[in-house]
Amino acid sequence: MKAETVMKQLTSQARLILIGRRSQKLKLLLLGQHINDGMAAKLFLYFMLSIVSYLYLQPFFYMISTMLKSLGDLLDPTVQWIPRVIDWGNLQKALDGLNYSESLVNTLTLAVVPSLISVLICSLTGYALARLQFPGKNLFFALIFITFLIPPQIIIIPLYVIYSKLGWLDSPFVFIIPALFGQGLKSALFIIIFRQFFLSLPKALEEAAMIDGASMFRLFFRIIIPLSVPACLVVFLFSFVWHWNEGYLSSMFLTHDFIPLSTRLSNLETEIFGQAPSMEMLAVNPVTEGTKMAGAFLIVFPPLLVYMIAQRWFVEGIERTGLVD
Amino acid sequence: MSANARRHRKARWHYMWRSRGTAYLFMLPWMIGFCAFMAFPIGWSLYLSFQKVKLTGGGLFSYEFVGLQNFKDALFKDNVYPIELISFFQQMILMVPVILIFSLLVAVMLNQNFKGRFIYRAIFFLPVIFSTGQVLTELFQQGAGNVPFLSQYGADAFIKENFSPAMAATITELLGMTILILWSSGVQILIFIAGFQTISKSIYEAVRIDGASPWTSFWKITLPGIKPFIGLNLLYTMVDLFTFPFNPVMEQIKLNMFNVSTGYGYASALAWFYFLLIIVLILIILWFLNRSSRERRG
Repeated sequence: MKAETVMKQLTSQARLILIGRRSQKLKLLLLGQHINDGMAAKLFLYFMLSIVSYLYLQPFFYMISTMLKSLGDLLDPTVQWIPRVIDWGNLQKALDGLNYSESLVNTLTLAVVPSLISVLICSLTGYALARLQFPGKNLFFALIFITFLIPPQIIIIPLYVIYSKLGWLDSPFVFIIPALFGQGLKSALFIIIFRQFFLSLPKALEEAAMIDGASMFRLFFRIIIPLSVPACLVVFLFSFVWHWNEGYLSSMFLTHDFIPLSTRLSNLETEIFGQAPSMEMLAVNPVTEGTKMAGAFLIVFPPLLVYMIAQRWFVEGIERTGLVD
Repeated sequence: MSANARRHRKARWHYMWRSRGTAYLFMLPWMIGFCAFMAFPIGWSLYLSFQKVKLTGGGLFSYEFVGLQNFKDALFKDNVYPIELISFFQQMILMVPVILIFSLLVAVMLNQNFKGRFIYRAIFFLPVIFSTGQVLTELFQQGAGNVPFLSQYGADAFIKENFSPAMAATITELLGMTILILWSSGVQILIFIAGFQTISKSIYEAVRIDGASPWTSFWKITLPGIKPFIGLNLLYTMVDLFTFPFNPVMEQIKLNMFNVSTGYGYASALAWFYFLLIIVLILIILWFLNRSSRERRG
């Protein structure tokens, strides 16, 4: 009998604690009002995202750690992430091997000029596809979509022959001229992005400008382009980055002069020694993984810097362009 | 009256052609470029795929018409190409859903409101910047793309025991490419996040008041809302994988291009066959997407 009342008291007290205001607050803090705003959910979210971020960043960490390792550290299996001695020799060797200052200027030219041109030409084409009426519009759009799918391997030899006949090989024209005619690197995708963006703009502005007697070109450059800065930025950044990383076309077209960083990296050993190295040469002056990673780091670093600065506009811009509806 | 009507018609005609003229002027650079740098090379390579191309002295080509011989050789005589092709499609069938689901999950997580999501977003968009290019090739050659915990916990042995050998090989290969998969889903995450912005917040509030859990609101509101984006991502992923630098079929084409005995004609036959397969696949997908969206409307 007595035991029963004690039990009852205990359970009622327990219930009070469980349902009481303080515990309620705790529960709210932990689980939240809805599944996704409590502490538990937040922790889970951070946990998951951190794991995936680690997987994303791992190659970068690997690159930086390997870059700073000396030959001894590379061979020593006990040294995993943190090198015993920080060896800047790799970086120096890679700087020489890549012929950095010269190839950096080459790559920069090959990335910036065609990207700027691409923004202009692709926006023109995208605008025509979005707003202007003309026969054959759907056909053009289908063709643009198909060019997006064509693998570069199919057309590279004919292009090589054309470029060599025109004397453009080993000059930046191989990227600039196609961009000028809307056939640059991934231009088809940019045209589609611009088209989608222009479709999402309100029509009233253009109509008002038309009634006021503005010509089509005036309308485009005075009204449309200022309105589509986010889209232009996204296209420019994408184009810049893709041109920067481009390795296949440049390894075909730019072999003797105007060599960009990516080609230099894939021939790093030859570049360092000035010829294909023999076994003895490599024994004296080894080109280790560390050197290669240092080269990779030197290539990645400039766009990484651009990304850090432009990151905000990049991310927001993509969200605002409303890529596709 | 009739003169007036004629003048009227003439003016309209004039106006129409003027506006069309401007439109064509807008399109002009692209049209010239398409003819010079696309249509002409494509036509040429199609022509070459029916020829046996020999390089004669002085950088000139000599052609010899062989009909469909190149295609026949590729499919029945070549003992690498058909196998590579089949294994590529197997891989694609596995990778595409994995990439789509993974990027959808990450996009959902990044779309939540939490502190520091700015930093996480920055990290997750990094692959958009580096997923192409020489640097990545270099990294993967050195094994930086290996997943550390795969062999440590005996995952590969477990898979070998539980699946048929062919399946097990594909799965371990796929697991080995985990980081590669992560790295090739940058743009897809972006597209999904952009897709989420198109669903208005008020719908979520309304269902919340009606007592729907986030789980049901995801299945009933979010998923149907981003259906077009799933289709878009499907296409993008396929095109991306199709022109992927590590793609074995591409390697094969490149090898044959500079091989003296097979030559460029054979290589372009390989490329064309591959391209046709992909086009057919994409057309089928487009047809399905189109049908499903029409059903939704109707």
